[in-house]
Amino acid sequence: MSTSMPGRPASAGGALLETRGVGKRFGAVEALRSVDLTVRAGEVHALLGANGAGKSTLVKSLSGVFAPDSGTISVMGASFAVDSPAGAMAAGIATVFQDPALIPDLTVEQNLRLTGADLAAVERWYGELGVDPAVRRELVRVLPLEVLRMLDLARALALDPRVLLLDELTAALPADQAERVFAVMRDRAEQGGAVVFISHRLAEVRRLCDRATVLRDGVDVARLAPREVTEHELVETMLGRRPEPVRIAAAAVVEADAPVALEARGLASGTVISDVSLEVRRGEILGVVALEGQGQERLFELLSGERRPDAGELLVDGQPLRARAPYDAIRRGVVLVPSDRLMALLPQRSVHENLVTPFYLRVRSWFRLDPRERPRAAESIERLAIDTRAQGQVRRLSGGNQQKVVLGRWLATGFRTLLCFDPTRGIDLDTKQQIYRLLRELAADGAAIVLYTSELQEVRLVCDRVLVLYGGRIVAQASAESATEDWMLREAHGLEGAA
Amino acid sequence: MTALVAPRTAGALVTRLRSEAWTIGVWLLLVAVVAWYAVLIPQFGAFQVSSILKNSLPLVFLAIGQAVIVIAGGIDLSIGAMMLLSSAVAARTMEGRSFGTTLAIGLAIVLGAALLDALVGSVIDVSGVPDIVVTLAMSFVWSGAALLVLPSPGGGTSPGFRWLFTGSESGIGDVFLPSLVAIVVPTLAALWFLRRTRLGLSLHATGSDRVAAYLAGVDTRRARIVSYAAGGALAGLAGLATIAITGTGDARASLGSQLTLRSVAAVVLGGVALTGGIGSAVGVVAAAMVLVLVMPVLSTIGIDPNTAQVVQGSLIALVMMVAGLAEWRRRRRA
Repeated sequence: MSTSMPGRPASAGGALLETRGVGKRFGAVEALRSVDLTVRAGEVHALLGANGAGKSTLVKSLSGVFAPDSGTISVMGASFAVDSPAGAMAAGIATVFQDPALIPDLTVEQNLRLTGADLAAVERWYGELGVDPAVRRELVRVLPLEVLRMLDLARALALDPRVLLLDELTAALPADQAERVFAVMRDRAEQGGAVVFISHRLAEVRRLCDRATVLRDGVDVARLAPREVTEHELVETMLGRRPEPVRIAAAAVVEADAPVALEARGLASGTVISDVSLEVRRGEILGVVALEGQGQERLFELLSGERRPDAGELLVDGQPLRARAPYDAIRRGVVLVPSDRLMALLPQRSVHENLVTPFYLRVRSWFRLDPRERPRAAESIERLAIDTRAQGQVRRLSGGNQQKVVLGRWLATGFRTLLCFDPTRGIDLDTKQQIYRLLRELAADGAAIVLYTSELQEVRLVCDRVLVLYGGRIVAQASAESATEDWMLREAHGLEGAA
Repeated sequence: MTALVAPRTAGALVTRLRSEAWTIGVWLLLVAVVAWYAVLIPQFGAFQVSSILKNSLPLVFLAIGQAVIVIAGGIDLSIGAMMLLSSAVAARTMEGRSFGTTLAIGLAIVLGAALLDALVGSVIDVSGVPDIVVTLAMSFVWSGAALLVLPSPGGGTSPGFRWLFTGSESGIGDVFLPSLVAIVVPTLAALWFLRRTRLGLSLHATGSDRVAAYLAGVDTRRARIVSYAAGGALAGLAGLATIAITGTGDARASLGSQLTLRSVAAVVLGGVALTGGIGSAVGVVAAAMVLVLVMPVLSTIGIDPNTAQVVQGSLIALVMMVAGLAEWRRRRRA
């Protein structure tokens, strides 16, 4: 893709999509107070905001998932009062939601026919998006996430919408795939359509978007041209105050003789993981980086006791661990923060119940509640600054707050080794920083942490050591200070090994 | 840049066969049970085939109806009671009428049952009360209504109407073609509807992941209501089959609740996931016929009816456990 973006002609256009004073409340939480948004023809418009600012709620109002409580939405000047996604599509708004809107038990072809998509039109986009047309007959269940995201996008594009809403589409995509999406976005804008783009990756936003509307606490607080401001200024506008500078955790040098908390020897699992050996010491944060699909998910399943390795062994505090279930690992102090927050949470239960779930493991609390439950939970909430306004049901919390609850659960119950799988995906900078600080504090208190991250800069921010996974093997390791992003990226592509 | 490629494991045919493995397995099971039965009794011929087919009809219809509802993410505990109500109404209104009139009444009953269950479906959707609660309540309503219509066994239908389902105007004979047609046509219709039409696919989608389906633009409310309407129509058909087979009406509530539970058993045995979204009507039909056949087979080899019930239940549990084990092993190896 060319680096110079042609400037949008000022005459580019009238408003394709306009909202005035849109508000939406869920019980006690006012997700949107009053949002004015104007999206013009021929532009890529960014919707920015910290977690819980109301971006997803606005997207859902615009795409007909629910009707706003107040305010008006108009498309091309005509007022828009549709309360179903199908209606929004008919009005010219197509949305790619944060999670794939594909049915796992149907084939791709059946999914497309289901929504009345024009099959030929969808398949025309496959080439552009790099999707193998042979996916047609596959069950959605077996396809990797990035393919599903591309199918979602192809289906939206096939409607030839006037407005394309992309909610965190690029979060799950490897870099080359994201480039394809960017090209398509620019193309839509150049042809007189509009794209509304939501992404936590500010570099993407600055590169691609003509204008941006910034939301904070359910109100639009600023309209700006992202290219004309720095990332730092963007963050400031989103947060409404000067963020603390990103602290490069000057990791206290881990003593070489600190006890090894978790050790893996020659782990193998199917064709996905082969001969992985690693160790992490008390007080140390070990980073793991890899491109999508290099076996990182499986590695964490093995480490957390969710799955047994075909070969090799795990040692916790020097003693072998043969886990039949995560329960066994948790009892030995090895706990997991998975990538999918909702997988770890009981979405319909309260924050408190979610925090104390592991307390229920202990036999002595089968018939009574552990008296330490309440104070520990309260402590977690305070330490993590969990927003408890919607504490009755965890699913009502924003993504960042949900992640804090997952972390807080282990804080409340105690652990010795923490496995974190991409804990900051799709989370705003402020919360990210809180999580980084927390991880460092935990390590300083003697915890051992294994952190897989899809954002390479996190390695230098929080880790002591890093290892790179490629094709199910560890291809490189280094101390975090010496690991440049460039080096990690090359290793992660398996380039050094091939040379 | 490389293209995103789906993980291809085997040829299209093999993949296809593997995904239908359960259905094929149930049909093989049916063939085995029929073969066993054929060996057990000395004179196996057209009369026995006709008897097996026609006696399977009510459960086959209920099982297809239940399958459609379960695939769409619901469950109908009133399906047997609805069958009861239909047969009671049929017995009351068809007695002594001409073939043409009974046919018209039959059609009206099927439509009426579909309409009533569609109403139940919309109540479930609007109220947000779980399917199992609403349909359990409705099962008492329908079976009570059936007794109101037909307080004691009686009534009847026209000989022609009996021929339509059984191949004989007296309900007993060795012509099995009409019964076969009565099984094959709804099965193929359900298969075609669920797999080849947009509305049918929307049922699968709603049962599989209602939120994703809604976000993708599927009208999930319509899908659920339609699934109940289809279930109701098939319950009506089952009621008509019952009166055609026995020639008279009987509205005892226990008959309905028994068939409801057996329809759920057939659905599970037929490879439909109770969590919704997965399965097909074809496997369910075979499973229903296996369930109908197990009892005569067991009694032929000299097991008394009470023990036979225990054996039948254990067999269902065993089959499900074996399947669960196979699935678990497959997932471990992946």
